[in-house]
Amino acid sequence: MSAAATVSGIGRPRLGKALPGALWALLLLTPAFVSLASVSFYPIVNGLYLSLTNTSLITQENEFSGFANYVQLWGDAQFWNAWWHTMWFTAASTILETVIGLGMALILCEAFKGRGLVRAAMLVPWAMPTVVTSKMFGWLFDGQNGIINYILLHAGLIDQNINWYGSPDTAMTTIIIADVWKTTPFMALLLLTGLQTVPNSLIEAARMDGAKGWITFWHIRLPLLMPTLLIAGLFRALDAFRVFDLVYVLTGGGPADSTETLSTLSYKVLFSTLQFGYGSAVSTAMFVTEGIIALIFCLYLIRQIRRAQ
Amino acid sequence: MTDMKKGPVSGSKPVAHVTIADRRQFLIGSAGLLGAATLGLGTGLGVRRARAQSRAEISFASAAFFGKETFGDLIKAFNESQDRVLVKNIELPPPSSSTEVYQGLVQQLARRTGTPDVFSQDVIWIAGFAAAGWALPLDEYFPEDKRSAYFTGTLNACTYGGKLTALPWFMDSGMFYYRKDVLEKHGGKVPDNWADMATIAAAAQKAGDVDFGYLWQGKQAEVLVCDAVEIITSNNGAILAPDGKSSLINQKEAVEAIQFLHDTINKTKISPQDVLSWDEEPSRQPFTSGKAMFMRNWSYVYPIAQDAKASQVVDKVGVAPLPAFPGGKSAATLGGYQLGVNANSKQREAAIELLTWLSSTETQQRIALNFGLAPTRSALFQDEKIKTEQPFMASLEKVFTGATARPITPEYAKVTLALQSGISKALVSGNVQAEMDALADQINKIVG
Repeated sequence: MSAAATVSGIGRPRLGKALPGALWALLLLTPAFVSLASVSFYPIVNGLYLSLTNTSLITQENEFSGFANYVQLWGDAQFWNAWWHTMWFTAASTILETVIGLGMALILCEAFKGRGLVRAAMLVPWAMPTVVTSKMFGWLFDGQNGIINYILLHAGLIDQNINWYGSPDTAMTTIIIADVWKTTPFMALLLLTGLQTVPNSLIEAARMDGAKGWITFWHIRLPLLMPTLLIAGLFRALDAFRVFDLVYVLTGGGPADSTETLSTLSYKVLFSTLQFGYGSAVSTAMFVTEGIIALIFCLYLIRQIRRAQ
Repeated sequence: MTDMKKGPVSGSKPVAHVTIADRRQFLIGSAGLLGAATLGLGTGLGVRRARAQSRAEISFASAAFFGKETFGDLIKAFNESQDRVLVKNIELPPPSSSTEVYQGLVQQLARRTGTPDVFSQDVIWIAGFAAAGWALPLDEYFPEDKRSAYFTGTLNACTYGGKLTALPWFMDSGMFYYRKDVLEKHGGKVPDNWADMATIAAAAQKAGDVDFGYLWQGKQAEVLVCDAVEIITSNNGAILAPDGKSSLINQKEAVEAIQFLHDTINKTKISPQDVLSWDEEPSRQPFTSGKAMFMRNWSYVYPIAQDAKASQVVDKVGVAPLPAFPGGKSAATLGGYQLGVNANSKQREAAIELLTWLSSTETQQRIALNFGLAPTRSALFQDEKIKTEQPFMASLEKVFTGATARPITPEYAKVTLALQSGISKALVSGNVQAEMDALADQINKIVG
């Protein structure tokens, strides 16, 4: 960058004369635009188109079928079952991760001995591949030899081993716990950076006025943290919505479809039954739902920012 | 940012530009030349070899199995054994990634280019490939008299719409593992019906000999369908009607069978509730660590049970056909890979030659010895060499005789997802009849 700057001072523009500036800019944007369009726009548009066809690799059909897939989707109990599970998973994990993450961020914001080490160590769960986390939680919550059962049993909280992944009442909760363990550090980190932007002078001024810790947090830190909180929540919600590996490794969607999410369902429809048309409709429905979630977050965020101004 | 934008516009020293461009040009040029050279060399050689020997060139695609050798070695042996056909081996992912193998095969076959000419397929794909018109009917090459050497169960799985569209290759099936030492204490006779099995299992559990009476696989996955096919068939029931156009899963026989599985957890309590989240490996572990009396599983368990490093039950394990209901016959879900010829193959004769060789007695023997994969020719179970080197495999003839195909329908992929979900719901809730009725409706919509 600096080399270009020095060089540009010496030489006179040659081609610049022949081409107007705007055209140059557009020309230089083309590679980026083309690569982005080919890996991002084209797949999305093609996915949308596929969802309007009855494409299936097995039956070899590939015809435009209008909204037939969406009509089928509307009446598909399995889809709605997966949709509700996904929404529940997204809401529960995002809220828990935000609350716990905020707590962690507040602690890590304080000065104490070994803070750097704790900050680094905190990120370990997040840095682990999800498949490893999944296997680990598979063993932790194992119905026969799991340590969770062992602890609960010896603490007298349960009177017999619980088969966490084998019962529809507990399977989803267990997966949510695994996700919270894994991703809370990520939230904590995002919120910590947000907290550090809150000017110390404001907090000091509040202390001078006699505000206690809780009041400082509620009236100064939290309002100023709100935009960060919303953006972090948005990231997390959109990410949680796509949950796949945890479910795929731990339960495969069972028992009795109680952990089926939209990602696992669309994987099954797309790649096990090779119905690319219907599978794309499921994916598009996911896309639309994610769009709505993002919209709600953004509207709220804008309102927050306006109010702050 | 502004620097970046301005840089190229105003231009740097022309000299620098030229050198860089020159060097780049040179690099591209030389790379191209190199590429062309290797290409020329490659094609030149290929052409020469083909002309010199004028062999028909075909390709063979299969999931990658390993043992003392690979399928690549097998193909090499075929290429060296004759000079009419030259086979190129296309290696697909291992059988543990069967979804990926399936995708890979479907994509290639759907192109209808004739590649691969010969392929191996999981038994559950055969009907789909046949219905799509990708698999060449083999009846004229393998008439009735040539087929009788194979197990009936595998032949049924290789037949779609009355035509033989795949040739049996190697197989596996569900089987009944038992603990010889514990059984000695409880009568010593291997139970051949489910009720006796439950009684013995409960007794052994009560006596404290084992923690679990009977282990099976109830995870919402393909293996649940396998377990279900076995128990339903052993009660003279079926998942699909013989014509494949409607479901029989809500009939009395099937409901009784699924009810029995539900009861093993909730009534007879010979199975832990954990089986609902177990597939093969989680159910194998308690068995080989000596905690269970009976288990349904595939043949891979036996070598592990006999390995002192991984097992507490060395020499204490026996294998038998699975029990049946009164009036029913023992059934074992068929697994394994069978051979097919691409209907669009341009080298049919060569493809048939490879097919015949791969499924021949000699090659099946070689696969049994070197890969540990059981032959589909029943006579090979009397083979002296297999008997000495793979005594366990040789003992499985009785088990394999009961081998039963999973529902034969081109819509199998959809049917199995419905089955996994429906049976899992029935096992969890215990409303077997209601769930089976709902499941039958769903399957009727798919296959009807």
